[in-house]
Amino acid sequence: MTTPLLEVTDLKIHFFTDEGVVKAVDGVDLTIERGKTLCLVGESGCGKSVTSRAFMQIIRKPGKLVDGSMLYRFKKDDGTDEIIDLAKLDPKGKPIRQIRGQEIAMIFQEPMTSLSLMHTVGQQITELIRLHTGATKHEARNRAIEMLQRVGIPKPDRLIDEYPFRLSGGMRQRAMIAMALSCNPTMLIADEPTTALDVTTQAQILDLMLELQNDYGMALLFITHDLGVVAEIADDVAVMYLGKIVERSDADTIFNNPKHPYTQALLRSIPKIAMQRDELEPIKGMVPSPFRRPVNICQFQPRCNQRFEACSRVEPVSTLINENHSVRCLLYEDVAAVHQADTEAVAHG
Amino acid sequence: MAEQSSELGANNHTEYRFENINNLIEVRGLKMHFPITQGLFSRIVGYTKAVDDVSFDIREGETLGLVGESGCGKTTVGRCIVRAYEPTAGEILYRESGDLTDDLKKLRIHVHHFKADDKVSTGHAIDLARLSGKDLLPYRREIRMIFQDPYSSLNPRMTVFENVTEALKNSRWVSRSEMENIAGELLKRVGLRPEYMVRYPHAFSGGERQRVVIARALVTNPRLIVADESVSALDVSVRAQILNLMEELQADYKLTYLFISHDLSVIRHICNRVIVMYVGKIVEIAEGLDIYTEPRHPYTEALMSAVPISNPRHRKRSERIHLQGEVADPSNPPTGCYFHPRCQYAKDICMQQTPELQDLGNGHFAACHFAKELELRGAVMG
Repeated sequence: MTTPLLEVTDLKIHFFTDEGVVKAVDGVDLTIERGKTLCLVGESGCGKSVTSRAFMQIIRKPGKLVDGSMLYRFKKDDGTDEIIDLAKLDPKGKPIRQIRGQEIAMIFQEPMTSLSLMHTVGQQITELIRLHTGATKHEARNRAIEMLQRVGIPKPDRLIDEYPFRLSGGMRQRAMIAMALSCNPTMLIADEPTTALDVTTQAQILDLMLELQNDYGMALLFITHDLGVVAEIADDVAVMYLGKIVERSDADTIFNNPKHPYTQALLRSIPKIAMQRDELEPIKGMVPSPFRRPVNICQFQPRCNQRFEACSRVEPVSTLINENHSVRCLLYEDVAAVHQADTEAVAHG
Repeated sequence: MAEQSSELGANNHTEYRFENINNLIEVRGLKMHFPITQGLFSRIVGYTKAVDDVSFDIREGETLGLVGESGCGKTTVGRCIVRAYEPTAGEILYRESGDLTDDLKKLRIHVHHFKADDKVSTGHAIDLARLSGKDLLPYRREIRMIFQDPYSSLNPRMTVFENVTEALKNSRWVSRSEMENIAGELLKRVGLRPEYMVRYPHAFSGGERQRVVIARALVTNPRLIVADESVSALDVSVRAQILNLMEELQADYKLTYLFISHDLSVIRHICNRVIVMYVGKIVEIAEGLDIYTEPRHPYTEALMSAVPISNPRHRKRSERIHLQGEVADPSNPPTGCYFHPRCQYAKDICMQQTPELQDLGNGHFAACHFAKELELRGAVMG
């Protein structure tokens, strides 16, 4: 295994609302490697977007990073590595500002709301380039045109002076990607970048992102709820449920040999073109309200079709099945460990 | 009132004849053009041809899928059928119900106060496109719509009970207790607890709200439901629940669905027949799986190749068809075949002549000059 670019351990982000504390992210462990694509999958509200926002320290209030570390391997100009804990950086401080946009860039779901309406595409891209590289206006403009061309925008020298609302959805998303890549980031976070697009446009954008990843060798953290997209682009997959990662492995294993009941159920519940009509099997029940999540027991247990008696008493921990595959489910924990936890629970209870 | 308008319908529309008695709806030459206005006096400078000369049938009891990318006019077709829009031209022939099952008859008589012999015999057609105002009311009860976003399609200031039964109030006077019974039954049927009907929509999750929306559509005992992207806003696990529910309800209530979606795998799952649209026109119609296994229009082929395959072992990025350029502008479409600027098989004739929908046998139609010659790839079925 190569040295990871970003190593996240026990990340916890809680939202302190008037109605109570929402544990949006509750102990997430992740590693992201250079040049690889990690897909973070889960249903809405499982905390996948919040996790990714934490890497750039742009968590919205009343959210707060309460625990955990995010060790980022920062390559200095002289070629040596420096490890920075992103969790310790001040969200308003200078170091994180240097990382945002330059080291780690982000693409959002809806390009219409994440691009400024009041500035031209060019103004927005050149601002970023000038801020991070100190280039002159002219150099930055040339670089912006070059990037727009690179992402497949026709007539980039004309389009650079257009306002975002004049572009179609696909073109806007291309402009977003050009902007994100203009400072040559080491890591790109893409938060549902194709969800708002049509299938043919989605296919174009996915191909483009992979092509660019090949060319620039960046790490890609791809957040989506669409398992079809995951199957197309992922090297590794992490499945999230209620703020925790329940299963993590390479893409092939996740799709062809999933272990966690949630992953299995998720795969059975998506309609596929290659599937017979009667095969669609929904997951029963629904995602519980953030204030009524099960605590200290398996969170998926109420909806699980493989639950057994211990599931409603013991909280599973992440178990390594092999060096490349971890599952958070009692089914795969050592029977002995379960028993021990059982007796402990009884003793405490 | 139902009595009146069916009489009126019978008088006015004897001239219409259905091509096939199994059809519930026959759409003929439907056009919906939206004017583009400019300046102080809203001078009309052009038309957006959202739907341009579209003809198709909806058979009774089937689920007809309508696919296409955003802006292709699929929603406009749906809205024309529920008559939320007044079509610019064309006919929407609707076959009045003559033979109902006993259950439905009872429901109609008791709940909707129809007379036992209220309906004209099977085969009488009404042109919905020409009706307006009050004459449309009985058909509004029979053709209902489900929208994409359950957050915005329910009135947040009305309880679930009020949302569901609002349509009943418009048809006749129903006592509160009777309405509560009806709403309770329906909520139970769609998988919600009847006690919840006093709550407001904000207390429900997306999937539950979509169930409420479905119950609301069913309350008038409809025959046709136009489902416009009805599962697109839902999470995957909930999406499967709603799809299964819609299939069950179809069997129970003998419903016909016009299922509008951009998601080919959802369409594959629920539909018996599929129509593909591109820039306001139908490019292909096919039965069952044919559209997936043997597409006959280059646009359908490209659409199929763009669908992500849910197995990393079947990745096919390299063979994917890349459509050049952007979707044509419906206010200024290209000459000839609207797809020709993006089509890899385009020849001279495609630039000059607009292809007609041609019959390829087995209920398969395609609007391509070379539909019979081209060998096109289908979706990966493995």
